[in-house]
Amino acid sequence: MFNEVYEKRRIRSVYSPVINWAKSLPESTILKRKSEAENLFKKIGITFSVYNNYDTSERLIPFDMFPRILSKTEWKKIQSGVVQRSMALNAFLNDIYNDGEIIKAKVVPADLIYKNPAYEIKMVGFKVPKKIYSPIIGTDIIREDKRNFKVLEDNCRTPSGVSYMIENREIMMRMFPELFQSLKIEPVENYPEILLNTLKSLTPKNCSKNRNIVILTPGPLNSAYYEHSFLADMMGVELVQGSDLYVDQGITYMKTTRGREKVDIIYRRIDDNFIDPITFDRNSCIGVPGLFDSYKSGNVNICSAPGSGIADDKAIYTYMPEIIKFYLGEEPILENIKTWRCSEKKDLEYVVKNLKNLVVKEVHGSGGYGMLIGSHATNKQISHFKTKIKNNPSNYIAQPIISLSSVPIFNKKSLSPRHVDLRPFCLVGSNSVNLVNGALTRVALKEGSLVVNSSQGGGVKDTWVMTE
Amino acid sequence: MLSRTAENLYWTSRYIERADSIARLLEVAYRINLIPNTSRTQNEWTSILETSGIKDEYILHYKENFKKDKIENFLIFDEKNGSSIFECIRKARSNIKMVRTAVTLEVWNAVNSTFHDIEKFSEKKYSSRDLPGIIDFVKSRVNLIRGTIQNTQLIDDTFDFLSIGTYVERADFTARIIDVKYFILLPSSNYVGSQIDNFQWTLMLRSVSAYRGFKQTYGNNGVNHMNIIEFLILDMTCPRSLMFSLDKINSHLTNLKKIYKKNSKAEEEISLIVKKFKKLSAKKILNIGLHEFLLEFIRKLYSVNSNLQNNYFFGKEK
Repeated sequence: MFNEVYEKRRIRSVYSPVINWAKSLPESTILKRKSEAENLFKKIGITFSVYNNYDTSERLIPFDMFPRILSKTEWKKIQSGVVQRSMALNAFLNDIYNDGEIIKAKVVPADLIYKNPAYEIKMVGFKVPKKIYSPIIGTDIIREDKRNFKVLEDNCRTPSGVSYMIENREIMMRMFPELFQSLKIEPVENYPEILLNTLKSLTPKNCSKNRNIVILTPGPLNSAYYEHSFLADMMGVELVQGSDLYVDQGITYMKTTRGREKVDIIYRRIDDNFIDPITFDRNSCIGVPGLFDSYKSGNVNICSAPGSGIADDKAIYTYMPEIIKFYLGEEPILENIKTWRCSEKKDLEYVVKNLKNLVVKEVHGSGGYGMLIGSHATNKQISHFKTKIKNNPSNYIAQPIISLSSVPIFNKKSLSPRHVDLRPFCLVGSNSVNLVNGALTRVALKEGSLVVNSSQGGGVKDTWVMTE
Repeated sequence: MLSRTAENLYWTSRYIERADSIARLLEVAYRINLIPNTSRTQNEWTSILETSGIKDEYILHYKENFKKDKIENFLIFDEKNGSSIFECIRKARSNIKMVRTAVTLEVWNAVNSTFHDIEKFSEKKYSSRDLPGIIDFVKSRVNLIRGTIQNTQLIDDTFDFLSIGTYVERADFTARIIDVKYFILLPSSNYVGSQIDNFQWTLMLRSVSAYRGFKQTYGNNGVNHMNIIEFLILDMTCPRSLMFSLDKINSHLTNLKKIYKKNSKAEEEISLIVKKFKKLSAKKILNIGLHEFLLEFIRKLYSVNSNLQNNYFFGKEK
């Protein structure tokens, strides 16, 4: 396991000022700041909802004050790797919904695309505005050692967490201004502005002069509702729910106190299935009837495009190195994690035999649900999973139990290492691809745990990219 | 502005005002409770339920069991009562949470922290001793929320919808308070000028926080039914009077008409009501019949309200 702070027992130079600072803090100050931070989160209302059978209660996301730090050199590599992937993913989506060159070239098997439930048949042949399917991509990255950052998965639909990136920084700056005065840390606050420009560039064919952009949210019970309202606020656009929109003669309008107003670009934070009850799930109450037709007539853009989800499918993920080479003619800058496809006989055999040492994931799952971590599972769980895999092999992939790198957290009395991952957010506009110099660091707060999802006991940290 | 935003703003304000009104009613009830006269006390508790328009709901859940503790609980904590103080604050917060982007951070903080802080008064630990504490908490928080709205919001349509919600709720509530006790303001009342009458009148003024204001306006000897009617219905200087709320609703609806450059039925109606009110006097109201007058008033206010919804909350007009 790689501890990001140390190299051969010596403190690495990027971390040394912060380690000294952290060790100089008296315990009482740490406790005081901790509760201050918690109050700030509560006051601002940064909460997420948790789904279970009993209630949809609001919880605070645990925030740890010890920052995650990346040097400029490390960051540059991550940045160029993420940009490369994001461009390849969009090229891939454009290809598979149109000419299918990558399939003709037999780089990716046809079945994997055309029989994939995430492949949206209704999008075939449609020319998406500016050829951008997925303008906001969250790439989950883990660090294996000093040199190697690897991609764990891509999120092309509606990745969340960027509000934490910004708010964590706000709170750190409020509580420890001295750190920001003495160290040179890249700011992240320009994210909403870049997001707005990105969305603005993705105009549909028939667009009003003053592009009217909205964020479409499922509503306040959604786990990421805070983020939706935060981004709407920071960009100065309306946060709408399905019931605020309607379609009349193919044009999408929002209901306002002045009457109706045409909507041009929708940054949607609801799933494909719920967008439009006429075209997709008939039971959806949070969608807009007729929206998909309005979209296909070029009267409104939906970002990300319906059907983008296939690109972050875990089975497609395994082909990412080939996909990058195929469209960009480049070697991948960031590597994938070794992955076994249970759909392939040889891989399946290996996986079933070695479950104890593997992490098995559902191809279409997310949020850490429906996965098995072999080393932490009981024999019963393993044999249960074995049956599940054998019954439906193509639904699963497996990866070695990767050891996420660790960064200290402020534990009760001392600093103690916990596992972290990294999620930068890439913005793909019609003419530019951007990343702010920062990312979300998620941290598994339980000792030894590798699960960083907020829905399962993960917390967050401020992430610093140093300017030099 | 999104139609839903306007609607959420309006309801945020209404629920905040309602929490305030219930707190004031409870304050009066608490006072009565300290005065030894059980039969009258019992009546007061039921009439509080009547005033806040929730007597039927109470009976539905607790039958005709009008016990002080039960009613107190019903008015402060009970989830079954959509107008309990806790429910009002919860609803105000969930309404404003939907439109966080429309209000300033300060306004959001004021509502959100009220929601979090009120939890320290928990139902399980509650005893009547805590009542003054809760009342003070609610009143001061409501004033804080109003203050942050006044001091930090732009004076635009957001502000108008927030204000209209406040004054529609207030006008409605004041009208109900007077109506529930209208008989004590009638000249035919048996007790005119008696001790009991004074006591009842004082209670009515207190329940809308207008007792001191009334004394300042009419002096100690001015306590009589005509002056009270004049003060609570027609006096522009009394922030709880019907006239005051009407005037505010009128001016905010006029603002909206200007901002949106569009006439509205709600505005036409309210300005007619205001015009009529200006020609009224306590004597004329008594000639019409106080009860009849108030019923008609509530009906008209309701009509303004539904036109307001048609004009602004449905948002489909071209």
